[in-house]
Amino acid sequence: MLKMNNISKMYQTEMVQTHALRDFNLHVEEGEFIAVTGPSGSGKTTFLNIAGMLEPFTGGDYLLDGIDVGKLNDNQRADLRNQKIGFIFQGFNLIPDLNLYENVEVPLRYRGIKAAERKRRIEQCLEQVGLASRAKHLPQQLSGGQQQRVAIARALAGDPRFLLADEPTGNLDSLMARQVMELLEQINRDGATIIMVTHDAELARRAPRNIQVVDGQLADFTLYQGNPNVAVGA
Amino acid sequence: MFSHYIDLGWRSFKRTPLVSLLMVLAIAVGIGITMTSLSVYHMMSMDPIPDKSDKLFAVQLQTIDEGQTWWSPDNLPYQLTYKDTESLLKSDLPYKRAALMATGFSVHLNSDKVKPFLEETRVTSRDAFSMFNLPFIHGDVWSQEQEDSAAPVTVISSSLSKKLFGSENGVGQTLYLDDLSVQVVGVIKDWQLHVKYYDLNNGSFNEPEQIFIPFSLIKAHEINTWGNTNGWKHEPVKVFNDKLQSEKFWLQFWVELNNETEKRAFEGYLANYIAEEKKTGRFTREQAEYKLRDVNEWISYWEVVNEDNKIMVALSFMFLAVCLANILGLLLAKFLRRAPEVGVRRALGASKRQVFFQHIVEVGMLGLFGGVIGIIVAQLGLFGIRQSLSYYDSLANMDISMLMTAPIIAILACIIAGLYPAWVVCNTTPATYLKTQ
Repeated sequence: MLKMNNISKMYQTEMVQTHALRDFNLHVEEGEFIAVTGPSGSGKTTFLNIAGMLEPFTGGDYLLDGIDVGKLNDNQRADLRNQKIGFIFQGFNLIPDLNLYENVEVPLRYRGIKAAERKRRIEQCLEQVGLASRAKHLPQQLSGGQQQRVAIARALAGDPRFLLADEPTGNLDSLMARQVMELLEQINRDGATIIMVTHDAELARRAPRNIQVVDGQLADFTLYQGNPNVAVGA
Repeated sequence: MFSHYIDLGWRSFKRTPLVSLLMVLAIAVGIGITMTSLSVYHMMSMDPIPDKSDKLFAVQLQTIDEGQTWWSPDNLPYQLTYKDTESLLKSDLPYKRAALMATGFSVHLNSDKVKPFLEETRVTSRDAFSMFNLPFIHGDVWSQEQEDSAAPVTVISSSLSKKLFGSENGVGQTLYLDDLSVQVVGVIKDWQLHVKYYDLNNGSFNEPEQIFIPFSLIKAHEINTWGNTNGWKHEPVKVFNDKLQSEKFWLQFWVELNNETEKRAFEGYLANYIAEEKKTGRFTREQAEYKLRDVNEWISYWEVVNEDNKIMVALSFMFLAVCLANILGLLLAKFLRRAPEVGVRRALGASKRQVFFQHIVEVGMLGLFGGVIGIIVAQLGLFGIRQSLSYYDSLANMDISMLMTAPIIAILACIIAGLYPAWVVCNTTPATYLKTQ
């Protein structure tokens, strides 16, 4: 479903060239739940941004669902992102002056979905994350965990095949983090492919597949099948 | 999506009300100043009789001797002599013609009912009313017989009829012009004109007259002009008849020619007339010179809208540009502050184009609000101009086209100012803001 071959990303200033990713290779199959770990500055977020087509890459090939992302223009990338990808951010990134209903509505509007269908999907997604009764609330009237659940509802509203989560529990206490993680696991069981960047080793172990990014490269590869305490592959 | 962008624009105003208000006021002031000068310019340069302006022609004849010069752009006198005016008026031609002269009287009813007042009066011929589109509300124009016999009759405006007789229908009533008793034979709708094109000698924007009397009364009652009398050679004028026979210019003459054939035929008539007059010792120039100018050519020949007016409009647009430069800076700051939200929208599927249009719609709304308030500012400006000089009463106004133009200019100006900020914000890399928000 996602294939990255020899992806590289270089940031260049007048003085320095920095390789954020180099020779990055990754194949993700449909329905996988992958945790991406690694030290700060290793390139995890850059990888996630490239996977989500939020940043261009400098070299290599990236195929998403068989589509060569490198050959798409901005409009095509925006369409593809809207159709296939849902984002969950550490800082929730809800739009502060839109209520929950309107926040969840944002990706659906860009997809051109009719109002009645938008309403059905929004109510369904807010129901799924347990916030249907708060649809008219503004984000700042909710706790951090609730905001992240709204962000998840927003990511789910477009019925994406891919969920990209960047430290989704990073700003939450352990109880809320566990609730969010359980929600992501449920979404994965329902069929979505999830790639989650995290610093939290315990959370990472709950994902069936872990990858580690070090110095812009895929340095380690571990599969946990069922039992998060046993590494079965490297 | 357009209505959604309007909704987002409105929310953006509510989120930053002070900055938004500041921008709207800046546009309003810029548009107000621009529309004030543009409205005056528009009224000055507007075709005063659009349905006939290409059919009505002012007549000029070159009667000045060879070697003598005049102050007009082409050396032709602006007005005609009485002799020529009378000849052109009385000649047997199938075209409507109007001889005109500005005069004035003390108007009264020879009673204590109405206090006497000075009123400008237009001496003219019968055809003038149909030529210049002056519709009768009551009665009609004086007859040809009355014209020929110098009958003391008059046509007045409905306002003057109300003022004198307390009724719009003053037909049959008598009024006095100085000591001359005249009977009202017709009442016309008030003549509303922005440019007094038929006689530009004494101010292009003065109000048209409200009293009209037959041309033949000039000779019969020795009515002198309140307008300009110009001569080019020494001619002693001891009695009124001397003036009638002189080469002095003091009358205007218009002819209605409905097509090029009629125009050529009338020009032929003028050439013949000059040739005949040559035999009497007039029109001494080797080459016969005459000119027919239609209404708009006449207005531009007189430079009714001069360079100063154009410079004023240009300066007001430059002021608007300064306002827009300030708005551009404010928009840039406002939009860049919103870059994190744009990053989220881009991540959720908005293309650069959609983000760009969202912001352009917002600046368009700013322009609309600024344009509407700008109309109020312009009205204040025009009110101030009207108060400063009664000369501007009919000019310092916004007609419907200017009222519609104000928001359009404001919206376009704001969109131009917003292009760069909108382009900058839609080109920000979304990833930069998603992590840091």
